[in-house]
Amino acid sequence: MGIKGLSQVIADHAPAAIKTIKYEENFGRKVAVDASMCLYQFLIAGRQQDGTQLQSESGDVTSHLMGMFYRTIRMVANGIKPVYVFDGKPPDMKSGELVKRSERRAEAEKALAEAKEKGEVADVDKFERRLVTKEQNEEVKKLLTLMGVPVVEAPCEAEAQCAALVKSGKVYATATEDMDALTFGSSILLRNIVAAESKKLDVKEFNLKRVLEGMKLEMSEFVDFCILLGCDYCSTIRGIGPKKAYELIQQHRSIDAILENIDIKKYPPPEEWPYARARELFQSPEVQPAEDVQLVWKDPDTEGVIAFMCGEKSFNEERIRSSLAKLQKSRQGGTQFRIDSFFAAAKIVKSEPTTAAKKRKLEEEASKKGKGKGADKKRGPPIKKAK
Amino acid sequence: MFEAKLENAALLKKIVESIKDLVTDAPFDCSENAMCLQAMDSSHVALVSLKLEVGLFDTYRCDRTINLGISLKNMSNALKCANNDDGCMIKYEENEGDSITFTFTDTKRDKTQDVTVKMMDIDGEHLGIPDQDYAIVCEMPAAEFQKTCKDLAMFSDSLNITATKSGIVFSGKGDSGGINVTYAPNSNADDEKESVSLEVNEPVNVNFSIKYMNSFTKATTLSSRVRISLSNDVPIVIEYPIEEAGYLRFYLAPKIDDEDNME
Repeated sequence: MGIKGLSQVIADHAPAAIKTIKYEENFGRKVAVDASMCLYQFLIAGRQQDGTQLQSESGDVTSHLMGMFYRTIRMVANGIKPVYVFDGKPPDMKSGELVKRSERRAEAEKALAEAKEKGEVADVDKFERRLVTKEQNEEVKKLLTLMGVPVVEAPCEAEAQCAALVKSGKVYATATEDMDALTFGSSILLRNIVAAESKKLDVKEFNLKRVLEGMKLEMSEFVDFCILLGCDYCSTIRGIGPKKAYELIQQHRSIDAILENIDIKKYPPPEEWPYARARELFQSPEVQPAEDVQLVWKDPDTEGVIAFMCGEKSFNEERIRSSLAKLQKSRQGGTQFRIDSFFAAAKIVKSEPTTAAKKRKLEEEASKKGKGKGADKKRGPPIKKAK
Repeated sequence: MFEAKLENAALLKKIVESIKDLVTDAPFDCSENAMCLQAMDSSHVALVSLKLEVGLFDTYRCDRTINLGISLKNMSNALKCANNDDGCMIKYEENEGDSITFTFTDTKRDKTQDVTVKMMDIDGEHLGIPDQDYAIVCEMPAAEFQKTCKDLAMFSDSLNITATKSGIVFSGKGDSGGINVTYAPNSNADDEKESVSLEVNEPVNVNFSIKYMNSFTKATTLSSRVRISLSNDVPIVIEYPIEEAGYLRFYLAPKIDDEDNME
């Protein structure tokens, strides 16, 4: 599920860190894609209307191949160079330290249903998404390799590996829906890159440096703040929501200091709370050093793809061929570079605000004040509704 | 307040028509000395840079540096109402709402038209373009360059430019065939307007997308001459001077064979 409510907190406290950009604007960028999350979307969240999945003639599920194939084509046709990063083994937190799995699964399913209703991509729990089978993972790796797209196997968490690639400058950004890519230290996170074209979603770019500036936090403080909000590795202190967590981190600057200073009776931390281990997982995760990762984009092996997709998995040959032609075409005549890779951004230009913009700003300020008051009044746990 | 008057609307018309397909929204930077514009196309491959110095205007008043955001499509519509030789006044007053007023005056008929265009909010990054010396600077008739780009586009998506002391070659190769257009420098030509001049500091060999070049050459109407500046592996500059008191420049990032990670 990434970090609970983080995107909203960023929108509230560091709006300058989020940029909405058109899909095409990512032209010429190399991005690390969290493959495991994509697969989860295709297989679990992306069922057909009747709840079944796409199948080949022999009854094998093929939604993951279909999803991966077309989304990759879309990226490449738009000049994006993807690198897919797969999850390795789960992080070794002792089972006793993990939150109850069954509880989490129920939660995840609920969240999934909700997100589906809204037509959004669900945030996916790091443990939940390992439900994608090994075979399915292998099939996708085979397909991507045939398509000439680099595949990286992370020793542990894919998000962490993506972040390492971004930090080293090998790629521009991490493309994922999981906000914890920021907690792992990805300087740039792109949302909606792997979305279906038909949804016509704009891409949201989160800039970590601006997040930290806007929230006035150091990176280590930001990690602690994310753990307070709720991450995949441990539970949180009851009664502390995003607003309180922000206040506490501003005041005390670390979870240790917060625990020393808050009223433990009012805000009981979980028993044997492994926040320090979670922090360690975020700050020094197990990754392959970026220097050792070779990223090579090759020509697609058209016949290989056809043999696999059409021969084994009964996809329509004509469609696969015409899509592959797009892939081939985008590779001709060298790589088109971006103008902003030669000229650095010198300043931000803001045009004269129109009255509509002025009004919006006033309203935002007013509603922020209003929100503050409302939250103060509504202290205490929410009242449960009787069935 | 901002108020500037051009002797005729044709200049602004030509500028807007030549960039409106490349850039949709434009933030006009107006200062004491000039009216400028910098904007990238949606895929951030090309950059447009316009400068109109005070000297181009009949009257010019700008009380403070101001940035006016406007949709080029709307601006183009407004300018369509004007005849080429109508006078053109651009006016923005802080207290008079969110629009820019274009006043076109036709002295022959004693007619004036006030057209207002709604402004828009634009947030964007301004790129710093370093002053640099280019390996090659070539000047030629703008119409000649336009024809060459058009001809090449029939054969190829890519334009290759090579230049040495002996001349500059534009070439394109595609599935159907190929074309090479060579200009040997002829600065001694009788007619200065028709001459092709070439300054070579270093030989170059660079590739560009022909689609963008063709889009740039819409500005051919602005100027009889075009100046092309390029070096290996940096953006090319296609400049159309405007009456020695301004320019419209297009920067285009090159296509580079990325051999390290492309096999």
